[in-house]
Amino acid sequence: MADVLSVGVNLEAFAQAISAIQALRSSVSRVFDCLKDGMRNKETLEGREKAFIANFQDNLHSVNRDLNELERLSNLVGKPSENHPLHNSGLLSLDPVQDKTPLYSQLLQAYKWSNKLQYHAGLASGLLNQQSLKRSANQMGVSAKRRPKAQPTTLVLPPQYVDDVISRIDRMFPEMSIHLSRPNGTSAMLLVTLGKVLKVIVVMRSLFIDRTIVKGYNENVYTEDGKLDIWSKSNYQVFQKVTDHATTALLHYQLPQMPDVVVRSFMTWLRSYIKLFQAPCQRCGKFLQDGLPPTWRDFRTLEAFHDTCRQ
Amino acid sequence: MGVTCVSQMPVAEGKSVQQTVELLTRKLEMLGAEKQGTFCVDCETYHTAASTLGSQGQAGKLMYVMHNSEYPLSCFALFENGPCLTADTNFDVLMVKLKGFFQSAKASKIETRGTRYQYCDFLVKVGTVTMGPSARGISVEVEYGPCVVASDCWSLLLEFLQSFLGSHTPAAPAVFGNKHDAVYGPADTMVQYMELFNKIRKQQQVPVAGIR
Repeated sequence: MADVLSVGVNLEAFAQAISAIQALRSSVSRVFDCLKDGMRNKETLEGREKAFIANFQDNLHSVNRDLNELERLSNLVGKPSENHPLHNSGLLSLDPVQDKTPLYSQLLQAYKWSNKLQYHAGLASGLLNQQSLKRSANQMGVSAKRRPKAQPTTLVLPPQYVDDVISRIDRMFPEMSIHLSRPNGTSAMLLVTLGKVLKVIVVMRSLFIDRTIVKGYNENVYTEDGKLDIWSKSNYQVFQKVTDHATTALLHYQLPQMPDVVVRSFMTWLRSYIKLFQAPCQRCGKFLQDGLPPTWRDFRTLEAFHDTCRQ
Repeated sequence: MGVTCVSQMPVAEGKSVQQTVELLTRKLEMLGAEKQGTFCVDCETYHTAASTLGSQGQAGKLMYVMHNSEYPLSCFALFENGPCLTADTNFDVLMVKLKGFFQSAKASKIETRGTRYQYCDFLVKVGTVTMGPSARGISVEVEYGPCVVASDCWSLLLEFLQSFLGSHTPAAPAVFGNKHDAVYGPADTMVQYMELFNKIRKQQQVPVAGIR
């Protein structure tokens, strides 16, 4: 509710600020008019000069006044809200053609829906954990109960926290180097280089992994203008297959209350690909099947299997 | 550029070079490999000119200047057991200017030509090695694109080689041994071709038959 009110105040201040800008513009143009006209005809030269200077001074004063007014108003208006929960997509609400492109309302609905889903999933996972037989899992359930109204905070984690989690993971695995960048606002993108085997581009939304692409060590991961290329796939069939498996892993590793554990488990799983070309299949004992090495890694044991040998 | 293994395939008994090549390519096609144009690797030998050797009586070193159709803008110059230089194709013109120091050996040009096959991430090139007018042997090159460290994928390459070379599967090339975990480069392939050509040069000349 407070949000709506503050928006109302802001709107009023906006209207005032706009009229203040108009006033400032007209007073400035008056100054230039006065300069352009120069000294009017008066009887004496002294009188002419005096009148001109007085006139000029008046105009300058009014410019000063208008400028002060505008500055005062600009403080009232405040910064455009950066902490909008939808980030830059919140600006869609400014689109005047609501009927033709109801994007914003749809976006809000989707956001609410996803928040609700996450909240319910959190509750469900808390309840399920209580029923678990393992003691460690049980404790987790209790701690979740202590703050039953946990808001879906995982979507709006501060970037600093994300940086910390990633750098901790980076230190955990010496053969893996993680480079974090934020080319488009707050969402982080990771470039993970695993030994001399492969490179992975990971697109994150706060601490959730949205998308991963696996490419070869010698493949280019940047577009022509030097940005990370998150759309094109690898030229090699092996890495296309590994990309598919990595996407499967994203769906497998889910723990809504502890997103940092999810990222860590995903990276641990990813690290097992350091032996992509060296490990034979654990079932058939061979390296190749249809020209591909064992691209699947078991989620628990991290053992290597061919895609068709894993069942 | 992935890890590459170059080897020689002996000519099958009672068959010509061309027939053996056809046998190999048919095997590859049955495996599911797809034809992708042709390839050519050539090599010319130069020896240091007598005038520059001086009176110390040292033996002249041989230098090999090679081209590979996979790298059409490059030229490779190698010494045996020595450094390998990768240069632009203009290097050929430079060699003409260096006539006083390096003289090309007569009729020393040796080359291999053949078809390029793609199977999954493997690139297979089966070629006929010719020296002058005569076919001297068969070269088989297998490249595994996704991997850049030779020792990582040798067992995998070996398994693939076995699948179509059978009992003629080669041992690991010497360049693999001294690379450790360094990144494999085009020059390493050229060293393997140079060694293969030298081996074939020393072999008995087979009768002039079945040139492509």
